[in-house]
Amino acid sequence: MPTLLEVQRAMRASLVDRDDAAAAAMLPEGVGADRLNIYRNTVLIGLTKALSLCFPAVRRLVGADFFEGAAGLFIPQRPPRAAWLDRYGADFPDFLQHFAPAATLSYLPDVARLEWAVNLALHAGDAAPLDLARLAALAPEHQASVSFVPHPCLSVLRLDHPADDIWRAVLDGDDAALAAVNADAGPVHLLIERGAAGVEVLRLAEPAWCFARDLVAGRTIEAACAAAAGVDVQALLAEHLAAGRFIDFHVAKAAPGAAA
Amino acid sequence: MTTLSPAVTTPPGPIPAKAGIGLRFQHHQAVLDAAPDVAWMEVHTENYMGGGTPLAYLDSIRRDFPISLHGVGLSLGSAEGLDAAHIERIRKVAERIEPGLMSEHIAWSVVDGTYLADLLPLPMTEEALAVVCRHVDQVQSALRRRILVENPSTYLRFAHSTIPEWEFMAAVAQRTGCGILCDVNNIFVSAHNHGFDAAAYLAALPVAAVGEVHLAGHSVRALADGSTVRIDDHASRVIAEVWALYRIALAQFGAVPTLIEWDNDIPPLDVLVGEAAHAGTLMAEAAARAAAAAPPAATEREAAHAHAA
Repeated sequence: MPTLLEVQRAMRASLVDRDDAAAAAMLPEGVGADRLNIYRNTVLIGLTKALSLCFPAVRRLVGADFFEGAAGLFIPQRPPRAAWLDRYGADFPDFLQHFAPAATLSYLPDVARLEWAVNLALHAGDAAPLDLARLAALAPEHQASVSFVPHPCLSVLRLDHPADDIWRAVLDGDDAALAAVNADAGPVHLLIERGAAGVEVLRLAEPAWCFARDLVAGRTIEAACAAAAGVDVQALLAEHLAAGRFIDFHVAKAAPGAAA
Repeated sequence: MTTLSPAVTTPPGPIPAKAGIGLRFQHHQAVLDAAPDVAWMEVHTENYMGGGTPLAYLDSIRRDFPISLHGVGLSLGSAEGLDAAHIERIRKVAERIEPGLMSEHIAWSVVDGTYLADLLPLPMTEEALAVVCRHVDQVQSALRRRILVENPSTYLRFAHSTIPEWEFMAAVAQRTGCGILCDVNNIFVSAHNHGFDAAAYLAALPVAAVGEVHLAGHSVRALADGSTVRIDDHASRVIAEVWALYRIALAQFGAVPTLIEWDNDIPPLDVLVGEAAHAGTLMAEAAARAAAAAPPAATEREAAHAHAA
């Protein structure tokens, strides 16, 4: 009699790797392997739907049939690791990068990277923004040593192609805007966050983006300012704080006795 | 258009022995706007594990409707153990929503760290029974509450199964103290697919353990060998035969919270509400029949008392 684990591994081989041999041998005589197919289809359809929800612009760019074909190859290679499908598809952009049939769409992996960041922002946990009075209460000599905890919805992204313009035009169904995009216009520097009206994708100038990236990465204000060139760091910092992009802060050890 | 309100503090009530509907994202705004005439709602726990809009809607909706959390990803039947991170995500949703009921499935979805995104059939063996019971114990400890477990709909069974599914369900409830979520449509579907007697299945369930009933639509698919298989796709109305089985369930269990589930080709909200209203009508009829068949216990006691005096 097969153990439970043997049954489950046999089913995995059937549903993910399309190898029915072990599972079919566990079925009663006369029960066809087409019953395994019912489950295989349900799994494939469910996971393809999850990817469609996460990557709607990619799907529209390549068409439903192409998308489903790509998903059908991706899913067996990288099935989900957890029962939380809102977080399924992290590897899909890199899969597309190496997916030969999509090679002519050089910007496609970047659109997918943007959609993954948007998806993470959409499903990120809630968190109250930092109480600015706490920051103001810090002794002035400690303020430079502050590093921030970003809101869970916040991320920064540098992409080689103007994926934000493509993404917006595709989701708006704006063919004229899409046609006007120069896909080779060079890199874009993006900040992705969730506001009251949904997820927002902001394009920043490179120096302002580098400053935001450093703060999001947990570098101290002092370090981020030192690395920043040609930007009004006070104004940028004030804007980040006013937008509620940070939820907490720590004071670096160089300033002993400070509250974290 | 009703707007979302911030997190509320009003505790929602328990799930009443009335008809409710499965709440899906498509109906979030309609529920706030229309305040439909249903007694409670059930959501898939996994859809509210993040923050943002979905959770904000659920916070608002739970002001007016008791909420049941129905999990689809815990994989109670996994040979290798439960995903502690997933239990923790469920615990956090429960902490926020304060559900009247929580439930999961007699099924499995995870093996070797891969989530197979479906409720897969278990072999009905002593080993699987022990695994499920251990995991139900673990979940009930982690959540500090009783859960309900739902009988599966299945399209295949394993040759080495030794325990009838209804006995398996009863044993899980008996050994762990959990309740049973009796999915009447699933019983109908599986009875067709495996050739057992749906009414006998119902009769074998421990009445006291049944804490909720599910109803849903299903479809019929022809297989290559000429046989048909019923597919539990939650994409249509409850069929007449399943309503008939529900009447039998009501006669046996009495009134229990009853849910209309609809997950694919989701119709306008009023269609769901209409299905729930029909379940409510059948519940009232069953209660009337039960009352007519047996004189109220209190009257008997009073009569006995009068006689003794």
